[in-house]
Amino acid sequence: MSFEWKYVRAPLSFLLKAIVLMIFIFPFLWMISTSLQTFQETLTFPPTWIPSIPQWVNFSTAMNAGPFLTYARNSIIVTFSVILIQVLVMIPAAYAFAKYRFAGKEILFSFVLLAFMIPGQVTFIPVYLMLADWGLINSLLPQILPFMANAFGIFLLRQYFMQIPQEIIESARLDNASEFKIIWKIMVPMSMPALATIALFSFVSHWNDYFWPLVMTDSAAVRPLTMGIAMLRETEGISNWHIIMAGNVVLVIPILIVYLFASKQIVKAFVYSGIK
Amino acid sequence: MWKKASSVLLATTMLSGLLAACSGGESPKTTDTGSSAAPAPSGPAGKATVQFWHSLGGKNGEYLDAMIKRFNASQDKVEVVGTFQGSYDETVTKLQQAVAAKTGPDISMLERAYIQMFADSDVLEDMTPFLKKSNMSQDDLTPGLMGHSVFDKKLVSLPFNRSTPILHVNKTMLDEKGLAVPKTWEELKTVANALVIKENNEFKRYGYSMPYDTWYPIAMISQAKGKFFNDQGTSIGFDSALGTKVFKFLKDQQNTGALYYPPQQDSGNIVNQMFISGKIGLMYQSTGVIGSLKDNVKFDYVTSFLPMDAVYATPTGGANLSLMAGSKNKDAAWEFLRWAMIDPQGGLQFILDSGYLPFTKKMVESQQIKDLWAKEPNRKVAYDQLQYAVDTNKHVAWPQVMQEFFKAIQAIMYDNKAIEPTLDTFKKEAERLLKG
Repeated sequence: MSFEWKYVRAPLSFLLKAIVLMIFIFPFLWMISTSLQTFQETLTFPPTWIPSIPQWVNFSTAMNAGPFLTYARNSIIVTFSVILIQVLVMIPAAYAFAKYRFAGKEILFSFVLLAFMIPGQVTFIPVYLMLADWGLINSLLPQILPFMANAFGIFLLRQYFMQIPQEIIESARLDNASEFKIIWKIMVPMSMPALATIALFSFVSHWNDYFWPLVMTDSAAVRPLTMGIAMLRETEGISNWHIIMAGNVVLVIPILIVYLFASKQIVKAFVYSGIK
Repeated sequence: MWKKASSVLLATTMLSGLLAACSGGESPKTTDTGSSAAPAPSGPAGKATVQFWHSLGGKNGEYLDAMIKRFNASQDKVEVVGTFQGSYDETVTKLQQAVAAKTGPDISMLERAYIQMFADSDVLEDMTPFLKKSNMSQDDLTPGLMGHSVFDKKLVSLPFNRSTPILHVNKTMLDEKGLAVPKTWEELKTVANALVIKENNEFKRYGYSMPYDTWYPIAMISQAKGKFFNDQGTSIGFDSALGTKVFKFLKDQQNTGALYYPPQQDSGNIVNQMFISGKIGLMYQSTGVIGSLKDNVKFDYVTSFLPMDAVYATPTGGANLSLMAGSKNKDAAWEFLRWAMIDPQGGLQFILDSGYLPFTKKMVESQQIKDLWAKEPNRKVAYDQLQYAVDTNKHVAWPQVMQEFFKAIQAIMYDNKAIEPTLDTFKKEAERLLKG
């Protein structure tokens, strides 16, 4: 029985992986194909897969439909500021929660978990009112300030730090290492895979975010790429899907690039076990 | 040594992060003087700045931007800044929070069915005095489009980008079968069934389709001489027999393939595509698609009134413009609205570009519109149908009741639930919401 199973398992696992891969990759291929078609081609049925003449002009049409340079700059500034600040807040917070004992630690950590569980849709109105009161609505800060602390990141990193044996920290302290040095020289290098994962998740969610910038910004000058692409859609009538998809390709490329660089670390984060 | 260096490094990275954050907020004001929308009571050179929020993306968004540019170039006292705020629904959300935070615009585009809700909370300015000052009156506007403009005797919105549902017809397909364009429900049923092609138990072609929307069932309720809400606004205005008749009509045809009822997600795009590729011969759909269809179909394409039951009737759609009560620049904002109504370079040009319905009588009588209609009779049909325009889904609680009506449509059209009990449940839910 087990002998036969062995021969079935490999092809079966390959087949399942292929199916899963297809499910994930199909929308991407569809997007790329559509982004290179003419409007007429996007409407034909059955759909065309390979555009007869690739319409590279769709990309410039999409990018000229609005101040896309401003949108791109805003997306970059917001996303990278958020990640940077999150990392700076997250590391000391996770370290304190993992390795220190202090009064109220459990309660404070439960607040972190609470923040982790409440979606933005619940808080956006009070946050908007507060930031409007401070006169910040026409800056990029409403897209950055509310995300300075990444509750999910603190949670994940705390778990990671807790795996690092107390002995290592103790011996560092015996060698007169400051707390800062312990974080910088021991905790951070040992948790690089986790940090990379958190940063990538954060990057993808902020880069792709539509809801938060929609409700937090009132003018084109402070809007990110996602808002610019939403503007390519027709409110009524037939949308130019080839132009919208060209915009989406532009939106997705940075994510793929970042993923290429971070993928190794992410795989490590999930297989990491103990200290080498 | 290392300690010091690293803390300096940390401080620098932190500062640069903050600086990046700050400069991100500051720089748009200095670099994008052209498109910047920093709200200020007066812009450069003593111009009054008027913030105008709208929901038009794509081509129509470009036409609207062009109209705003023409206005800004036409005079040197007012600078209008138009900003896209997402779909109609998203604009409503944004407007609600912005009114509360006092960061709202001077003028906003509002999908017609939401206007009453805003009028009820007194956040829309009564434009009657402004209209009078400009020697204009409500009679200058297209009557069929005024259904969502006056509440509590106050003129709180002006029609702008307005559309109606209409019957889009693949005339070539009908001619092949020797069929005439249907004028009544009965004719629609006959024509639609005649168009069906079924092979090996699979439908190759359906008769007609319509997007998943409350618009079309409401149109049919009105055609059967019912009202969506009763006059007192306490309950729905059609009885069980009438509601059952409408949905039974749709359901029977869905079962024979005469009607293809599309899936919820992206239903508008699906039916457009089916119409273009000849999978259906008739389509209930907004007048907003006439322009794109004309350019993309390879058959003889005409439009016609929605088929009648007892009477011809059509709801209207699209959006109006409102002057916000919280605006500090009402006179400047009015100047823009007035210009849009009367100047040939204003609303008229926008209507010619976009294909929305002309919203003043002057526009209707203009040579440009006459020329357009001579060239594209399909658009004239849409305007002519306005004489039967009636909006019976007017109530402050409409957005909530709409959700319940959608549930009823889903239950009947997708889940094959019995029609009568479903509509009874809907009626009970609606009454509960209307009381609240």
